[in-house]
Amino acid sequence: MLSEQEDEFEALTQFLYMAPIGLMQTRMDGEIVMINAASAQLLMPLSRDGELANLFTVLEDVAPDLEHRVRSFEPRHGMVCDSVHVQVGPGTSGGRKNAQILSLSLLKLDSERLMAVLGDATESVTRDRELRQSQAWINIIVTGITDYALLSVDDQGRVQSWNPSIARVTGFEADATQGRSYAMFYPNDGIMAQRVLDRLHEADANGWSLDEGWRQRADGTRFWGSCLIAPLQGVDESKPEERVYSLIIRDISDRREANEALRRSVLCDHLTGLANRGAFFEAAELELQRWGRVPRPLSLVVIDADHFKVVNDTYGHAAGDAVLRHLAAGLVATFRTVDVVARLGGEEFVVLLPDTTLEGAEAVAERLCQSIAAVAVDVDGTPIRYTVSAGVAEMEAGVSGLDALIKRADAALYSAKAKGRDRVECWSAGVVHPASAAQTA
Amino acid sequence: MTTVQAVSFDDKTVLKYLDQATDADLDALEFGVIGFDPEGVVRRYNTLESTMAGLSLQRVIGNPLFTVVAPCMNNYLVAQRFEDAAASGSALDATIDYVLTLRMRPLKVKLRLLAAPGVTTRFVLINRRA
Repeated sequence: MLSEQEDEFEALTQFLYMAPIGLMQTRMDGEIVMINAASAQLLMPLSRDGELANLFTVLEDVAPDLEHRVRSFEPRHGMVCDSVHVQVGPGTSGGRKNAQILSLSLLKLDSERLMAVLGDATESVTRDRELRQSQAWINIIVTGITDYALLSVDDQGRVQSWNPSIARVTGFEADATQGRSYAMFYPNDGIMAQRVLDRLHEADANGWSLDEGWRQRADGTRFWGSCLIAPLQGVDESKPEERVYSLIIRDISDRREANEALRRSVLCDHLTGLANRGAFFEAAELELQRWGRVPRPLSLVVIDADHFKVVNDTYGHAAGDAVLRHLAAGLVATFRTVDVVARLGGEEFVVLLPDTTLEGAEAVAERLCQSIAAVAVDVDGTPIRYTVSAGVAEMEAGVSGLDALIKRADAALYSAKAKGRDRVECWSAGVVHPASAAQTA
Repeated sequence: MTTVQAVSFDDKTVLKYLDQATDADLDALEFGVIGFDPEGVVRRYNTLESTMAGLSLQRVIGNPLFTVVAPCMNNYLVAQRFEDAAASGSALDATIDYVLTLRMRPLKVKLRLLAAPGVTTRFVLINRRA
């Protein structure tokens, strides 16, 4: 017969076993001191070595900046991060696959203890994204704080007729506008011919297509704008070549800072400011859908800092961080605005290049390699030289999806490393990734 | 333990033994034993496992394994493998490294997952001397 106290303790134990949310207590370096069952359920599929000894180690591949966030959190106690989404794999899942998106909160209890709360956010994030789009759409429609240009475009994205609102917002006059693609409102490398059509297709499929970013006036100056495209008739009501769309361009420069801050906190890697895994997978999946509809050149480059561990071990963590930030800046300078540049984890980066062939991507990657090798990073007066290796792959019919495309580029990267680093290799049927079996296990 | 173990954790015929073992037989083993039916309801639970988990038999027997007793195994590494084996009508005998969270402590163990067509009870064996 159990005493009342033992019975209560047992009930408490089982309560923690059954809690449908992950609860952990760790030390400041991530070492797990207490952990409940839901945490193990969510984390075991991510653990490379089959251990759950350190939270930062387990999440290293998918949330590389956790330790950095904790270290740079100065208050003695408080929320280090609140329901941050960690993208584990691409897309959404069904059944009992492992969670694709985790929600993680870290609470600093005192100078030695962290409390972590972990949940599976895969479904709620998918719902949120849809909701966010609807809200953005409603915002655009109903809030008339700033001026907007309203125009109609045909099935090729050409402006059908001019009206004064176009000149007010963009400065373009009638003869410069009529019959020309709405790409004129984007800076030079901001949108490509195929993307102009993609947005029309997406508007057909979803009822609208919305994007926010730099726009360009007739005099070449830029403003932060949003473009909303909506079909003027239902998809079934007209022949494709007769389809007409409304395009609303709004100057939202005044909201840019607030929007950017929000965007950054959700979509950007904490350390480098590049897109994070979640943002990358979302953008890349959209790009692959576009490819599926209208195949066109689409390439992917994975980039890895060579001997990065040596940099960390020799010069320390702060220097390692400085090198990663330097590499991130190099990536931004080398690739185009339309390319999706992201930090995948640790010292591994990825770039998706729309409308770019394997050879084209290889050439840009070569340029990156050379520019990185050519200069030293200055870290508090110490010059540090490092190199990068890159693997390139191009999307083609035999590639099943984003995962498979990344695997190909990874295999090419592996080959570049094996050949002595500081170089670019392209995927070809002969390139085999000896570690691929181990990596996917 | 005063009795000599009748069967070891990695014995080839352990499933056959467990299926016919009495509760006393299971209690004499030096590894944890959880047996559950096709619906996932726990039917067998030995004393060692009960002690290590801090859960008494009456809290466990008759309850669903993957929600009440060991939710940490409710993923594709463990639960899915039993479902896959049942769906394809094949036998399952796999030993995997795992981390249990009994009493909120991470503990490295070896799990042996056992199921066979014609044997109603499926078993998870837990070896703590991993």
